[in-house]
Amino acid sequence: MVNSMMEKPDPHVCIPDDRRQLVLERLQSTLNRAYRNVPFHRKRLRKEGLDPADIQSLEDVQRLPFTTRRHLSENYPYGLFAVPLRDIVRIHTAPGTSANPTVSGYTRQDLHIWESMVATALKSSRVTPDDILQISLDSGLNTWGRDYQSGAESLGASVIPNTLLSIEKQLMVMQDYKTSTLVTTPSYAHQLAVHIEQKGLAPAAFSLKTLILVGEPAGAEERGFLEERLHVRTWLHFGLSEVPGPALAYECDNRSCLHVNDDHFLPEIIDPASGASLPAGETGELVLTTLTTRAYPLIRFRTGDMARILPEACDCDCRLVRIEWRPERSDRLLRIRGVKVHEQQILAGIEKALGMPPRHACMFENSYQKKIFLEIWIAVDHSLFSDEIKMLENRMKTVRDQVQEDTGVPVIVRLKEQASIIACKLS
Amino acid sequence: MLKIQNLQAGYGKLRVLKNVSMHVAKGEIVTILGANGAGKTTLLSTISGLIKPTSGEMMFEGQNLGMLAPQKIPALGCVMVPEGRQVFAPLSVEENLVLGGHVLKQEGPKAVARQMDHQYELFPILKERRGQYAGTLSGGEQQMLAMARALMSKPSLVMMDEPSTGLAPLIVQDIFKVIIRLRDEGKTVLLVEQNAKAALEVADRGYVFETGKVVLQGTSLDLQEDEEVKRAYLGKDYGEFYDGKA
Repeated sequence: MVNSMMEKPDPHVCIPDDRRQLVLERLQSTLNRAYRNVPFHRKRLRKEGLDPADIQSLEDVQRLPFTTRRHLSENYPYGLFAVPLRDIVRIHTAPGTSANPTVSGYTRQDLHIWESMVATALKSSRVTPDDILQISLDSGLNTWGRDYQSGAESLGASVIPNTLLSIEKQLMVMQDYKTSTLVTTPSYAHQLAVHIEQKGLAPAAFSLKTLILVGEPAGAEERGFLEERLHVRTWLHFGLSEVPGPALAYECDNRSCLHVNDDHFLPEIIDPASGASLPAGETGELVLTTLTTRAYPLIRFRTGDMARILPEACDCDCRLVRIEWRPERSDRLLRIRGVKVHEQQILAGIEKALGMPPRHACMFENSYQKKIFLEIWIAVDHSLFSDEIKMLENRMKTVRDQVQEDTGVPVIVRLKEQASIIACKLS
Repeated sequence: MLKIQNLQAGYGKLRVLKNVSMHVAKGEIVTILGANGAGKTTLLSTISGLIKPTSGEMMFEGQNLGMLAPQKIPALGCVMVPEGRQVFAPLSVEENLVLGGHVLKQEGPKAVARQMDHQYELFPILKERRGQYAGTLSGGEQQMLAMARALMSKPSLVMMDEPSTGLAPLIVQDIFKVIIRLRDEGKTVLLVEQNAKAALEVADRGYVFETGKVVLQGTSLDLQEDEEVKRAYLGKDYGEFYDGKA
């Protein structure tokens, strides 16, 4: 078939010709499976008047409807699984965008693929079997902790699995166990760096040489700060908690861009407002389609992350598609210590705790005593007010505990006047 | 070596292959798995030119097979061993082989003889039966003759349609040993086989067909571990078949 789409801006221009065949084959069989096994995907394709056989080139992926986080929540818990439950060997839960978390399942092969993807990303970050790798992630990223653990173990590294410890204890482990590689979020790494300085500890007292930053993009300035303070080299990994996979994209030795595992995920960049595909080089929302996932295929999943495809080839040997991950987001997700938290989910948590929806509330990331929190402001009104301080404190505590449980990040709740909340939302 | 994109083909109004994309790289053994009616044989017949595709592209070593007459395709190095051991029954084993080597005519009689010797080395039993009518051979021997006849043209890609069907397990083992040897000799094999376990044991990769569509592909190891493949193709039915009980 002559590819008549070549004149159009080609968002997949970076997938080399020799891999396009493989990617197309995987895309088509993923669609065939999703169409056959998942009523959600079948209905949506039919609604668009599409059959999987209509997708005949990588560019045709643009004809498929998007999947959003809302769809994942609506199909809670197993609605998007493409294999029977007996084939699932692991079930992961990630904080969703509503009261329902996102549940994803893995077949044994899915886990093998993830393990090898994480191992490849770690290798690319120069992790070797000689390394002692410590994982320090919030409970909202627990699933990534497990993936990093399996990936690093398959590589032969010695792994200190993710455990919720105080910052002092994390540092103690890091120092005494001679951790050489730390996997954490940029926010937490920043906290560690500041803490080390305040305690007067010398970076040389640690054996740390590699810092793998996950969960949120880190700018050059922040990375420079961390590298200087902790005497390390930093490497950025990109992942999704929904799939959930922590190493969808990773940096090569140049550490200048992320390489997307395009053997397993087809990346696209779209205009978040119109949904139109954007050509390589333009910044937009990153959309991913799974190519090898058996249990939980995602078709054109809108990540909410902003990125741009870098059309120039990297001077490393790796020929995977390169992206630059931008700090802004295209949706209403907050990134708290690398954990993605949706406003709707927080509001649902408040409602559950108070027994009614808050009239006005706003939320943002903030830090106190060098610790990063999700700060929630709730407007005081007559329904919430009590002349007993203890009662008010109790209510706030209930909200804090509920949201903390739902999101897996530390929370501070404050009561504010309505005007302050409106001002906060406008700022 | 062989690259297929969006292939659609069928019989009359019946659409059997629905948008099939697949490839076979040089030196690989690739297997096609699928239930009866999944489109496996139709795929091989379409590649061989026996069925004209309604759309899609089949490139073999840079040549578009869809544009060629069926008789031109073996000369490119792409041959098929059909299902059901279709040998020329009234001809002797040797005559069958000579027919298979007709594309070597230009290279002279010595080339044909050399190739024939090679086939006798691969299938010693055929040497013993060289003068016998093909119709009098056992099922396994006929399968070997069908394979040897196809190999006479020194193909680079050998497509085999159900080579183990109806054969005793010991003969099946011999047939699969030859398939491995072909790969070792640098040939590429596209194998359609109902005996999924045996096929995945020799193949590098595989595609799973279902009602004319590819629903799964991967390395043989990957497919062997897949629960769906295990249930559909490597389950109890297989055991009965392989043990010669079915």
